[in-house]
Amino acid sequence: MSGAELSVTVAGVKLKNPLLGASGTFGYGLTYEKFYNLSLLGGFVTKGLSLHPRKGNPPPRVAETAAGMLNAIGLQNLGVDRFIVKKMPRLRQIDTAVIVNFFGETVSEYAELAARLDALDGVAALEMNISCPNVERGGAAFGTDCKMTEQVVTACRKATKKPLIVKLSPNVTDISMFARAAEHCGADALSVINTLLGMAIDIKTRRPVLANVTGGLSGPAIKPVALRAVWQCYKAVKIPIFGIGGIASAADVVEFALAGAAAVQVGTMNFVEPGILPRLVRDVGALLDEMGVKRFTELKGAAHGAG
Amino acid sequence: MNCAVLENRPLAGGFFYLSLKPDQPFGAITPGQFVMIRCGDGLDPLLRRPMSVADFAPDGSRLGLLIQQKGKGTELLAELQAGAHVDVIGLFGNGFDPPRGRVWMVAGGTGIAPFMGYVQTHRAQAGSLTVFLGARSAESLLMRDVFERAHVALRIATDDGSAGHHGLVTALLEKALANETPPEMILACGPEPMMTAVAALAARRGVPCGVSLEARMACGFGACLGCVTKVKGPELYVTVCQKGPVFDAAQIEFGL
Repeated sequence: MSGAELSVTVAGVKLKNPLLGASGTFGYGLTYEKFYNLSLLGGFVTKGLSLHPRKGNPPPRVAETAAGMLNAIGLQNLGVDRFIVKKMPRLRQIDTAVIVNFFGETVSEYAELAARLDALDGVAALEMNISCPNVERGGAAFGTDCKMTEQVVTACRKATKKPLIVKLSPNVTDISMFARAAEHCGADALSVINTLLGMAIDIKTRRPVLANVTGGLSGPAIKPVALRAVWQCYKAVKIPIFGIGGIASAADVVEFALAGAAAVQVGTMNFVEPGILPRLVRDVGALLDEMGVKRFTELKGAAHGAG
Repeated sequence: MNCAVLENRPLAGGFFYLSLKPDQPFGAITPGQFVMIRCGDGLDPLLRRPMSVADFAPDGSRLGLLIQQKGKGTELLAELQAGAHVDVIGLFGNGFDPPRGRVWMVAGGTGIAPFMGYVQTHRAQAGSLTVFLGARSAESLLMRDVFERAHVALRIATDDGSAGHHGLVTALLEKALANETPPEMILACGPEPMMTAVAALAARRGVPCGVSLEARMACGFGACLGCVTKVKGPELYVTVCQKGPVFDAAQIEFGL
């Protein structure tokens, strides 16, 4: 049993440890109940919700790449109404932070969703997805244009008193501009990063592997890019950061913390090792003991040096 | 789940048969269910590979997998020696319905895998089971002996005519459906063009047909939503890992 203190408070949300499941890889959480008790986690972020159900993109939707994968799911989800009726009653019983990810096609859809979710008991925080690369409308359109980021974050900020997390796209020239824009417009925290836009081609058919042609790259392959983005955002803003991108080990978690992450989300590796999150909770504790670190929070931003 | 490799038997044409003993039994298995197997311990290849369970011990204390060497993942699996360990999770998916009356199974390539378990599980009805087995040539007919030993009727088609019918297994099925009393069920597993043809033939004769689909899959347990197939009806896309891999052929929109 580790002696290190793993609990963190991010944007006013108390997390029993800094390990969360990342949106889009974690279903509505319940998918993982057959593997472990979800209350072992700091929390998790649901699959992105829209006002109306979405059927997603045609298959093939996934392709493996070197130490990573591409996906173009297309934000398939059951819609906010069915989520509230079908998933929330069970989610309320789980002693962990449930963060709901959401997205719209227009500013007013984003704001309407934020208002709907604001009223929900049992939701610890909201995560705005302004960075999905796989749909034409909504998502990345808001996350790759600073003015639109400002508009949509401002509108959601007005619509909810819950902690508001903005998930940023790495597919921009300078992510710190978007971090500042989100902070300026009232975001309480950032999630850094969403997937990188990529593609794969089948040399036998001479056609793109994904039906959507392009998809979001995730997994260990993107970790250095994600770490750099967290580093830059940490320098740019005061609000806390959830580090995301290719985390596969306790050492990765510590690296993200040193770059400036207050907590981390694990995504693609849940597919490979469904029990990875509770394993990392144990492994991070053991690693901190080994490093002589008493509190996880001591690590935050330490790689930036004093002052 | 950690599994010990009991045997890795190379077969013709880049296929091999892995026999695995899990640390704890997987429990009861329905033929047609699948597992997700990790290829190596590293991060590349990253994703597990879905593998249909071939034959098995009734309590899941032993699993056989029939694997085709296709890429870097299956190459690593092909190198496994007896005594090595692999990480396997499962069981996932629904599996095939038990026999109702006479059942014709149509298989191509590694598609024969779930039918090994099917004839084993339903051996009491062996007399009403027929396997249509297609391959490139006589030497690449996989697991022929398993079906011969199981006393099920075996009909063979090879592309080069070196054994059985000279041509596609679907042509053999078409002839049988035209000349004989159709069975009560047809089950199919194999390449998509084969299954598309089997589904069409079954529909024409009004025979219920179950098809086991393959899909690019990241997780295998319903989290990634990557493995969907297109179905007729309002749902449009359903996950192969959870709603399948066996579907009523009449529900599937083939030829995406």
